[in-house]
Amino acid sequence: MRRKAYFFVILVFLLSPFLGGVAFAQVQVRVRVMEASNAGSGFDSSLRDLHDQLGSLFSFSSYRLLKDETVSLSLNQPVSLPIPPERSLELTFINQNRVTAEIRVKITRSGRDLLTTLVRLAPGRSVSIGGPNPKRGEGTIITALSRPKTIQE
Amino acid sequence: MKRECSSISELLDKYFDQEVTPEERSLVEDHLPSCPACRSALLSMGNLRNLIKSPVEEAVERENFPWVWEKIERGIQQEEKLGLWESVWSWLDMISLRKKKILIPAVAAVVILILITAPLLYEKMSSYPVLSVVEYVESDTYNVMIYEREAPQVTVIWLFEGPDEEPLTS
Repeated sequence: MRRKAYFFVILVFLLSPFLGGVAFAQVQVRVRVMEASNAGSGFDSSLRDLHDQLGSLFSFSSYRLLKDETVSLSLNQPVSLPIPPERSLELTFINQNRVTAEIRVKITRSGRDLLTTLVRLAPGRSVSIGGPNPKRGEGTIITALSRPKTIQE
Repeated sequence: MKRECSSISELLDKYFDQEVTPEERSLVEDHLPSCPACRSALLSMGNLRNLIKSPVEEAVERENFPWVWEKIERGIQQEEKLGLWESVWSWLDMISLRKKKILIPAVAAVVILILITAPLLYEKMSSYPVLSVVEYVESDTYNVMIYEREAPQVTVIWLFEGPDEEPLTS
């Protein structure tokens, strides 16, 4: 009997990091909205990581942070937040495979769906949604979704 | 005298088998020269042993006892068929860790080691394994293009007003 108790305790300890990953009560997603343009140059310091990524792909010279907010998502409970310009971003935590969270992203304007996508976000990974391309004298809006680099949320 | 002979004869078997104490030995050896009956009994014991010993030794030399080996082999095979847990525990029984003073610190050390290394290992195993971050995209309003790059890790969903529009790539 004592042997079984020993084994049970050891088993719980061994599985605890994995059980924590399976439970996935919540995930945190950082939402950053920025205006990218070719008017001027420079970028906000909080956009350094994204600037390095986006700079390798796009030719914008300036990135200006408009919104920076971290939201906690519970399973199958949509969270909405307004993003410029006059749009709404709805995030729903759908599923988790190991540490990768599946999140449904919906962007609407005046109740009309502009974009619906399902993205898989691992800790430290980001997805940016941008466009359409700016008209003369205007910037384009890029919304970046990322997860902090932690094992447990 | 008769009483003494009777008590000595009880010791004769032990004396013959060399199982007597020094006191008993001297008692028997003092008695034997004066008692022909006890000497005769002792001589009979020697003769009887010689009579039995030779044939038994010859039989042992001829016989290799195959049934004894079969029994030993059966025993070994039964021991080999232990279950996993029984094997683990029998192994633990054999080593000195079984003693509690060593077992508990040893188990604690292993658990701590695993607790430290498991998250690191888990994180390493869980590093992003697939290229595709975007499962699907739907838009009735815009045309959509997906950029994905692994180094640096970049995933961008870009919207276009019309099919002729080109992205502002560098």
